[in-house]
Amino acid sequence: MSTTRLQEVQICFGKGKQTDIATAQAAAVMWRFTKLNAALANPKLATENDAEEYGKGHEFPIATYKTAWDVGGTLEKYLSAEIAAWAMAFGLGKVVKTGTTPNFVYTCTPLFPANGDAAELPYFSFVEQIRPGAGVVLDRQAVGCAVESWQISVGSGPGRANSKISVEFAGSGRVIDTATGITMPAATVEKLLPSASLTLTINGVDYVTSKNIVSLETGWKNNIRMDAGFFPGSGFQTAGDGSTGAIRGRLEFGNRAGNLKFVARYDSTSLEYAKLKAQTTGTAVITLTFDANSSLQITWQKLAFAVVEIGETDQILTVAVECTPLYDTTNGVISVVAKCGIDAICQ
Amino acid sequence: MDKVWMKPPFGAGDPKQVDATPEILIPLMVAGWSQIEEPINTRVNTPAGDEEVTGHVHD
Repeated sequence: MSTTRLQEVQICFGKGKQTDIATAQAAAVMWRFTKLNAALANPKLATENDAEEYGKGHEFPIATYKTAWDVGGTLEKYLSAEIAAWAMAFGLGKVVKTGTTPNFVYTCTPLFPANGDAAELPYFSFVEQIRPGAGVVLDRQAVGCAVESWQISVGSGPGRANSKISVEFAGSGRVIDTATGITMPAATVEKLLPSASLTLTINGVDYVTSKNIVSLETGWKNNIRMDAGFFPGSGFQTAGDGSTGAIRGRLEFGNRAGNLKFVARYDSTSLEYAKLKAQTTGTAVITLTFDANSSLQITWQKLAFAVVEIGETDQILTVAVECTPLYDTTNGVISVVAKCGIDAICQ
Repeated sequence: MDKVWMKPPFGAGDPKQVDATPEILIPLMVAGWSQIEEPINTRVNTPAGDEEVTGHVHD
């Protein structure tokens, strides 16, 4: 009997966005990546039964019912210009694409419904396959997925592991679980954005020029209103078949939150504690670069320090700072300029 | 410099073409402006024959 190694699993997902939450994407608009984490995007079926109902003569269930479907997953990857552009576009939701081959520029901001934007994020399909075809082990497609969160971590050291991204996504629950018909595209050639390329200015201080930065993490969470996806008429796993379990008809973001924290060396000129006490506000600009055509620049438009703790890293005095991103009346909370050679991301 | 067409929020007003720089795009995006294809009535080429229309063609 043959065994199936998890290394065989291949994933691809929508580079472009779905036309709507229920319409599955075809291979032509998907791209394929490798990933670091083993977790699979398993569909979960919630069921209920009739144990509580009277008239059976006993308290035991005699029938079960498919209630609803859920699916979601996490992608952990070394940070590249391509996955960064995708995560920013789908994770923040509003995108302006400019440029031409090989320099496409994706300017991304969060959606603001008060200013006429949608409350739903762009949707994509997510495919997992192991030996598709005659000897299929796994071939399934989650339809109507949205990015729940992304988190970027940059550390000290020369290896790829010092610049990573984690993307969590949630799905409508609609799953094609056999014979997706998707032919896995060729693997995407990625341009890595290494830790050594970082430029960083936070609240008026250039932490790279001063050689003080040790590590940083920054991210965004959409807090998608999962329960609100089930509404009267939201649909079923098999359209028109009420016995197949409900699926979500929308994935709206909830109260969104950004985060930025960093660790830097601390000396007599360090101003973090003073800025905490004064609640000094400023921008944070984080830039990672492969080359002129492949880069990521994240700007927190206004922030203040929330926590400043002096400690040590490898016996060198450091300060750990947590920031509170604020809303700037002109530029909003966060903006991202992501450059890469791939066209049509989130289009 | 790249330029891009943007439409105003709630469909109120006319699209406009702006420089594709973060300094210009981001405030517009935050204010509800969204990217659109170039409006047909501003295109230089005719849809039928791809002939360039100049100011003196129909003079």
